[in-house]
Amino acid sequence: MAPITPFNASDVAEKARRDLLLLLEGIRGKKNLVLEKALAGSLNLLVKFSTLQEYGVDKPFFLENDNVDSSQRNVVFLVRGEKATTVQAVADQIKRIRRDSSIEHEFSIFWVPRRTMVSDQLLESAGVLGEASVSEWPLFFIPLADDVLSLELDDTVKDMYLRKDPTSIYLSAKALMLQQQKYGLFPRIIGKGDNAKRLADLLIRMRTEVTAGESTNSLSPSFLGLVPSSTVDSLIIIDREVDFPTALLTQLTYEGLIDEVFSIKANQTEVDSSVVGGATPQPGQTGSASTSMKRKVLIDSKDSLYTTLGDSNFAIVGNLLNKAARRLQSSTERNQLAAKTTAELREFVAKLPGYQAEQASLKQHTSLAEEIIKHTRTDIFTRSLEVQQNIMSGADPITQHDTITELISRDIPLPTILRLLCLESTTNAGIRPKDLETFKRAIIQAYGPQHLLTLSSLEKMNLLQVRGGSALGATPAARPGSVSNYTPLRKSLKLWDDEVNEADPNDISYVFSGYAPLSVRIIQSIIQKQTLANLIKPLSNPQASAQANPLAQGLRIFDDASKYVRGATFDETQTGEEKAVKARSMLNGSHNDAGKTVVVFFLGGVTRAEISALRFVGRKLRDVGGEGRGSKIVICSTGIVRGEGLVGAAIETQRFGA
Amino acid sequence: MSKPTANWEKVGDKFYRKVQLYTAVFDQDLELQNYNVVGAPYSGAVAIYRDEDKVYEYRGAQATRSSIDIYSCAGKLIRRINWDKGTIKALGWSEDEKLIVVTADGTVRCYYHLQGDFVPFTLGHGADEHGVQSCKFYGSGFVALLGNNQLITVSNYTEPRPKLLASPPSDPVVSWAIIPPTYSLSRSVEVILAIGTTLYVVDATDAEDRDFTAGPFRHISVSPKGEFLAFYTEDGKVWVVSGDWSEKLSEYDSRAKTVPKDMQWCGSNAVALAWEDEVHLIGPRSVATKFYYDAWVHLLPDVDGLRLLTNDVCEYLQKVPDETVEVFRLGSDSPAANLLEASSLLDQKSPKADDLIQLIRPSLSEAVDTCIKAAGHEYNIHWQKALLKAASYGKSVLDLYSSDDFVDICDTLRVLNAVRFYEIGLPLSYDQFKRLTPEKLIERLTNRHEYLLALRIASYLHLSSDKIHGHWAQQKVRVSTDSEEVICTLIVKKLHGKPGVSFEEIARAAYEEGRVRLATELLNYEPRAGKQVPLLLGMKEDTIALDKAIESGDTDLIYHVLLHLRKKLPLASFFRVINTRPVATALVETSALDQDRDLLKDLYYQDDRRLDGSNLLFTEALSQTTLAPSLDKLKLASKYLQDSRDASAVFQRGALDDATKLLRMQETFEKDLAPSQSTPSPIPGAATSTYIGLSLNATIFALLRAGHQKRALKLQHEFKVTDKAYTWLRLRALVSARHWIELEEISKTKKSAIGWEPFFNECLSAGKTNYAALFIPKCTGLSVAERVEMWTKCGLLVKAGEEALKAKDKALLEEIRAKATGSAVLELERLIGMLPGGRR
Repeated sequence: MAPITPFNASDVAEKARRDLLLLLEGIRGKKNLVLEKALAGSLNLLVKFSTLQEYGVDKPFFLENDNVDSSQRNVVFLVRGEKATTVQAVADQIKRIRRDSSIEHEFSIFWVPRRTMVSDQLLESAGVLGEASVSEWPLFFIPLADDVLSLELDDTVKDMYLRKDPTSIYLSAKALMLQQQKYGLFPRIIGKGDNAKRLADLLIRMRTEVTAGESTNSLSPSFLGLVPSSTVDSLIIIDREVDFPTALLTQLTYEGLIDEVFSIKANQTEVDSSVVGGATPQPGQTGSASTSMKRKVLIDSKDSLYTTLGDSNFAIVGNLLNKAARRLQSSTERNQLAAKTTAELREFVAKLPGYQAEQASLKQHTSLAEEIIKHTRTDIFTRSLEVQQNIMSGADPITQHDTITELISRDIPLPTILRLLCLESTTNAGIRPKDLETFKRAIIQAYGPQHLLTLSSLEKMNLLQVRGGSALGATPAARPGSVSNYTPLRKSLKLWDDEVNEADPNDISYVFSGYAPLSVRIIQSIIQKQTLANLIKPLSNPQASAQANPLAQGLRIFDDASKYVRGATFDETQTGEEKAVKARSMLNGSHNDAGKTVVVFFLGGVTRAEISALRFVGRKLRDVGGEGRGSKIVICSTGIVRGEGLVGAAIETQRFGA
Repeated sequence: MSKPTANWEKVGDKFYRKVQLYTAVFDQDLELQNYNVVGAPYSGAVAIYRDEDKVYEYRGAQATRSSIDIYSCAGKLIRRINWDKGTIKALGWSEDEKLIVVTADGTVRCYYHLQGDFVPFTLGHGADEHGVQSCKFYGSGFVALLGNNQLITVSNYTEPRPKLLASPPSDPVVSWAIIPPTYSLSRSVEVILAIGTTLYVVDATDAEDRDFTAGPFRHISVSPKGEFLAFYTEDGKVWVVSGDWSEKLSEYDSRAKTVPKDMQWCGSNAVALAWEDEVHLIGPRSVATKFYYDAWVHLLPDVDGLRLLTNDVCEYLQKVPDETVEVFRLGSDSPAANLLEASSLLDQKSPKADDLIQLIRPSLSEAVDTCIKAAGHEYNIHWQKALLKAASYGKSVLDLYSSDDFVDICDTLRVLNAVRFYEIGLPLSYDQFKRLTPEKLIERLTNRHEYLLALRIASYLHLSSDKIHGHWAQQKVRVSTDSEEVICTLIVKKLHGKPGVSFEEIARAAYEEGRVRLATELLNYEPRAGKQVPLLLGMKEDTIALDKAIESGDTDLIYHVLLHLRKKLPLASFFRVINTRPVATALVETSALDQDRDLLKDLYYQDDRRLDGSNLLFTEALSQTTLAPSLDKLKLASKYLQDSRDASAVFQRGALDDATKLLRMQETFEKDLAPSQSTPSPIPGAATSTYIGLSLNATIFALLRAGHQKRALKLQHEFKVTDKAYTWLRLRALVSARHWIELEEISKTKKSAIGWEPFFNECLSAGKTNYAALFIPKCTGLSVAERVEMWTKCGLLVKAGEEALKAKDKALLEEIRAKATGSAVLELERLIGMLPGGRR
């Protein structure tokens, strides 16, 4: 029997796919599909459009465009049902079609990921509940790569930090709960952050809820209430709030920079076709044909070239591309020369498609890299990067103010400025009141009065703060644990690495060319204690056993560090029924300790640079015999964020007279 | 013991058996011929009601009160539903023993759990107008035929959505039948209608004429798995057609003058025709056998056979399973028959037992399997035992044999025998039990209040007993006369350590029974908030409901409670409720932002959240399309803050006032400068931009670009724009408008707030190297090397050389020479020569 691998990406994808197709199959005949824009990316990742067509989907429409026509009798809505506005939009469109169309329609609504009571109420009051058959598509995790599962909740940042709406937390808990039902309880839940704590509490609470509801379908054997999982080591929850700076910084890995420059959505990025020639069709490229000059490029984690490129620091991407080009050239040439016997020739021909695909991918990535280089060479990019690096390395932020002011005067994009300001505020426990006021005034003058709202939103999200107290004046002094103090953290977690080696990295600091992301450091302090301890405090005599660093005992680093990091700290163990645990330990013995999965959940989003850093940690852990005992890391998140998205949640888009 | 083959009948080359399940089923006074009888699938309960079309003896006023009576197969009355709700047009059962009653006006009542209350819904689609004619039921739904030949289908009872099927012709329907969705080719329900001499197949999209001429068909029957269709023609023939209509399989002439009152499939192999007291069983290849009764007989079809019901007996007619035939058939010499024989010989201590075993030795394991299976299909306990004994004997001879099947059958038989007992009255066949599943069986038992047996079976089969306990507790709450405390402690004690019990259901039962306090008490033991909340709301425990919802973290639940409260409470008390609960407040704010701004305003005002209130007004100002209302809103927003003294409010007010001021000035600019806009501007894009809505910097930029320096300066003073920012703006505006002359003018001034480097950079990136070069000498703060670099960028290598010369940097000079071409080389050579030791 193959070992059960929890959080298996292909399993998750397959299940979601099957669920949807089953739902579609339930509706006879051809149908028009109306879907929410936010779901389009996820859908594309799971199901090819041609497959949807096989299942009778005639034409896709976007809910936002409100343009579904009456060409088919069946109209299927595929939307998230958590927000009242979307529900209302669905109700309005059903009413519109019913009014305008001459034929009678069959409406079906698939709520993602669940049917809500509120949606029922709204539909009922709109008088359409009886008209539509309602079902749910339990789509939670969507695999973006083999080790990355995302909920793809686009609004999480805005909901959770600005509006304090805990929907995302609840959905995350549901998603994790489903995994627990399949693979057993997480033996340990540990993490940092107020929202993360809420998530952990919810998980524990749901355990009793689910066991209560379980007996109804006792057909599917479940491990819940019985035993902690034998394949999962622990769940680490990191609240984005704990570590805003990492998300605000400009990512310097290749994948991170593609995200920064072109923005990646559901593994796809849109690039001007002048950059990557428009002719070569990409395998797996679906979606609407590019009407504009934009072309969709798939960022495919299965592309062998990209796997090496994606996580590398951009500084060495050029070299890697060169190397790949040379290897490709030599292998094709030599083979041609050597292909003397027919057998060899056949072998060579068989490999050709692979070479061609690689060639295409090489060409594509070379042109992407060139475009990114153009971007990184600009004055604005280097100046803002300089400010970031100075702030993170611990320089007095006041020295950076001139540069920031100058950048404001030069009218560079607002998100870039806000990222710098928020970075300063979050790393230094706020900005001095006088300076903050100056900056605010400058921003309002430069970008328009509507950004008064932007700034107020940022303050609500705690991204922008007055040093020594909240801007509202409600709390006179900063409560302990409400801000992160970076000064001690820089030392105790070695957040800044002066001797960073981008080409052959020996530490996660390579992803930001110096700064080691706090979030990943916290995770390291739990799962990679030895390495981290040796990094922070190299032993006097290297001969001493590597396991002997006193810092590595217990959770010392984690405990020390979490004192200075904002948000609640928690560490829960989940045990099962005693009998069952005993029985299993009798069966297994205690040798089965290796090769477990560590699940890392980023509540509020994860950046691509952090994924790269965690993959780096994961590679080290996978060496069996080391401290990781061959365990692997799976990264889960509510979505992928980048600095622009984080501050973008606050930015007011309306303006006067428009 | 009678022979097991005693009740066998040969139909063609197949055997059918008629198992007598129960005797003395109904009261002899009950005139079964005047009743309609329907049986629930899997040997479930039987519902009877008086057929109103038939004349019957007048028995005084009492007997005329009509009712629907539900009996077990053994004739035990389970429930009597008194009926005064109109003409019953159809009665049916769902797979899980829900009783469905359809009345002529299209109202459907769905009775739960045998004992439970009903849930009504209406068919709609004109059912009330045309009236329901009849209905056909399948496992999870039914189809109703209306007076105007329209067909309405309902596919589930939890959320019934009556749907209209395609319209057939309106001629009278002679008979009809349905193919359930699970077995139809299209995976949705299909209806076969006999109209005129032909047949129509109707589904959701169209009604197709099958072009038959042999009709009219008096009866249509679909086999349990939909693989065969049987039709009874006017002239007394039975046709069997394959389910895909591809082939006519057989035709049987009944030679009967009267049309039978019913035609049903018995399993999938034979069709039964029923007259009043006569049943014909027609097997494949048109062979038939006849059964005679001395009373009116009803046919109740099931998946693998047919129940026959008369006043006296309840019989089960089925094809004898192959294994049973193998063992018991007269003169059978199969290994299994021999094994049975050997086992009985062993009982008689005869030595021949071993001889027989040795004889069948090679196929002994099959023989054991056959005996085990035959035991499963056997109703008679004596023969069950005999068969199992034989299997056990054969097993002991075999060296290697997995006893799993044996154990499984033993368990199953024990359960089956227990439920077949006449007091329980669930005569399940082995196949029915397998299809029904043990869980459903337990559910049926609890519905019949047979808690003890249900518990015993659950523990015997290692199934969860939570449901049974829950059901018991509900019943307890309903009927117990004990005091509420006693009931509560009793229930809690009994259910302790059984996490799967739904306290919500018990609490609901208590609430419906009017025991509110008990309900609240019980609800505290319910761990699932999703279950607690709706009931709490129903019980008007609003704040508890809200707290529970918040605890659960499920925003949907919280919204649900909030919506409910919002409708119910006056605004002030609504705010009071949410104020102390931050999550609730946050959710109200979020939803109000999209939907109900006024509510939000009230909330902020009542909560004294000045800044938020002002922000909200500001948002409204932004969303205005014209200037005047925008300005009004801005004024309001500012006024909102006038009493606040803290720093952020003061700042906000300042910013708001600035915004107003800016907008007013922009308005005047717009007016003053409008004519100039009509003249074609030399710079594309400038003409389209208006001033209103721009940021301050953008306004200054636009003014400078259009050459309105005075106005720009005025703005700078008015809003205290720093010199640095202003200079930057001016620089960028001039470059973008390509006012090079003016830039040249600037280069002659002494000082610049931002140094001269930006001037150089901007000019350079605009491609004007000659103007960029103007600023190089002014960058005195930079090092020589940097200045040389700047000159080089402008392509003025000689100038670069001169710069290096001034610094007496020979290495730098040589570097420059290396880059040079043409005459510049000579010039640079000359410069190198000027350095001491330059010429070697």
